Amino acid sequence: MLSGITIFCFAASYTVALLLEASRLVFRSGVRGALLLGFGGAGLLAHTLFLGHRAIEAGTAPLSSEYDWYLVAAWVLAVVYLYLTLQHPRTAVGLFTLPLVLGLIGCARFADQVPFPRTKASQIWGMIHGGILLLGTIAVLVGFIAGVMHLVQSYRLKHKVRPTQGLQLPSLERLERANSLAVRISALVLLIGFLSGVVLNFVNHGQSEDEYVPWTDPVIWSSGMLLAWLIAAAVFSLVYKPARQGRKVAYLTVASFLFLVLALGVRLLSTTRHGAEGKRGARSAERGETEGRIALLPPGGRA
Amino acid sequence: MKLQLVGCSHRYSSVAARERLAFSPAQAEAALEGLRQRFPQSEAVLLSTCNRVEVYTAAEDPERAPTHQDVAEFLAAFHGLDVLDIFDDLFERTGEDAVRHLFTVAASLDSMVVGEPQIVAQVKQAYDLALAHRSTGPMTNQIFQAALRVAKRVASETSINEKRVSVASLAVADFAKRIFERFDDKHVLAIGAGETCEEALRYLQDEGARDVTVVNRNFERAVALSERWRGRALPWERLGEALAAADLVISTTGAAEPIVTLADFQRIEPARFQRDLFILDLAIPRDFDPAIGDSKNVYLYTIDDLEAACERNRKERERELPAAMRIVEQETAQFMAELRHHATGPIIKRLRQGWEESKDDELRRLFNRLPDLSDRQRDEIRHSFDSLINKLLHPPLKSLRDAAAHGGTLHALRDAMMKLFHLKD
Repeated sequence: MLSGITIFCFAASYTVALLLEASRLVFRSGVRGALLLGFGGAGLLAHTLFLGHRAIEAGTAPLSSEYDWYLVAAWVLAVVYLYLTLQHPRTAVGLFTLPLVLGLIGCARFADQVPFPRTKASQIWGMIHGGILLLGTIAVLVGFIAGVMHLVQSYRLKHKVRPTQGLQLPSLERLERANSLAVRISALVLLIGFLSGVVLNFVNHGQSEDEYVPWTDPVIWSSGMLLAWLIAAAVFSLVYKPARQGRKVAYLTVASFLFLVLALGVRLLSTTRHGAEGKRGARSAERGETEGRIALLPPGGRA
Repeated sequence: MKLQLVGCSHRYSSVAARERLAFSPAQAEAALEGLRQRFPQSEAVLLSTCNRVEVYTAAEDPERAPTHQDVAEFLAAFHGLDVLDIFDDLFERTGEDAVRHLFTVAASLDSMVVGEPQIVAQVKQAYDLALAHRSTGPMTNQIFQAALRVAKRVASETSINEKRVSVASLAVADFAKRIFERFDDKHVLAIGAGETCEEALRYLQDEGARDVTVVNRNFERAVALSERWRGRALPWERLGEALAAADLVISTTGAAEPIVTLADFQRIEPARFQRDLFILDLAIPRDFDPAIGDSKNVYLYTIDDLEAACERNRKERERELPAAMRIVEQETAQFMAELRHHATGPIIKRLRQGWEESKDDELRRLFNRLPDLSDRQRDEIRHSFDSLINKLLHPPLKSLRDAAAHGGTLHALRDAMMKLFHLKD
């Protein structure tokens, strides 16, 4: 039965939830809240079963390919969406969150399904690297959502737009706090993720040369750019007081998102050795040369 | 049972008349005590607000209930007035009309500003006070509890009191609360000491604002206002310093020129570190140069911005009025049906009881005369008697229940049945 669940199932549920969120702008409804939770919850359930089924079928943990990494990232963001909707049912958080969830699922459609390398040497560091970078990416995305909400709310207040039933947003003060926190957390977490990737590459350099990624690889420099920006933004907001307040901090999180999009775009579109051994390994497996290795790698770039 | 309301409101009487008849909280307590002593058989609740003074009375026996004249005399005597001076200002509602009126008042549909939220709390306070003074009874308990329920229903099923229509409340609820999450750690600066300024301060303190600074050209007035709001007063020369520290500013001076120009604001801007600033400029002419509104993280609202929003909200409330009135009508009809149903309960019980007693007497007599009847035969006879009673009682009871559901002829029917079947009250 589980094998019948496809990406389309949960993507369709999230799309209906997004349309319901959009309908807030048009009319009032007493049942919309229940429908939103129903479709959002159904999407999340199908999403969870799909990932679980893939893990059981492939005999590997989630995050074992670029494809899985995007789907897990979308899953975490969907959990964040449902949590926020339950906590603040009148806030139009889904209008800003669900497009990103669907975007990540869309990225998964174009991402490689070939498993990452699975040597014993890279297993632990690969798990740390992939998992931490996933959390950092979520922090950037949540910061972006808060940043866009802040800019919308600020624009509406500047232009004296009255609050509308359909587009209720958190206060600027709350969004500012969320933005500041997202800038710092994403910088810290992505720094740890990047460093774990460096360690992983050194481990591979000594033990598995095929998995070694040159420092000039596009994934490495695009990820490095993202990290450099995040650290600069975090330091900027720490030392320059106005950058912690008002729209500046929102601009920082929106810019962080653009750097993230750049890094993910480079990973999806460029020719890279990042995960290349995995691809070769998978092709070998297809030829009956299964290696039985496991590693977790995000598309953001394992160094 | 007689339910009656006698009182005055903004619809039928002038402010002067309402002021003469208004009750302070202490006076309301004394008045309830007085009503209880003067009309011991009657329940009473007294509702006194800026816009209305209403005395609700109810008594099981209509003969012992106070009349319109009685309540008017009581009000006049309490306030030391001549009853003839106030008689024309008073209106009366009885029975279903009184129920509908209270529901309309509690739902804020009869308020001067339709949808204003304070009235439901005032109705509850009036009821609680009457409860505390034991002047309520079954009827007033039912009607006031129902009124609070109706107010809640109107509030949840319509948006009639979601839209603010006073400048100060709209500024705080619709704009300030979208900027700030909390107010207890914010610095509030009041410039001037007008009435609107005080109203805005009241709303801000309701939201938790504690730190209030008052600046006024007249330092004594600033001190007086700051003492009222448990804040501090600063001399006019320190306005710039106060502005640099402020998160929210309410300005209501009568100055002919802006008291803060763009250049003034730019001088203090570095000290603010681009912190969010909410400025409520309620002065005419304006106190703040409009160009200040273009500064980073400054949200400047003038009286014109807010008046326009208030007017739109008023119109939106009016659009909600028919839906709210439908709820009141529905609830009134349901309440009256339940009330009539309760009123018919005792008569139905007494009627059935009388017939049951006659049936038992007849059966006892019959069984004495026919001692050879078997148990089965006795049961059959009992069953036949029960069936006969039910069939005979069905038409009058159905008529009574129908009248209870739809009103109209209930009282006449009830009286007729009491006479026909010799029922006692």
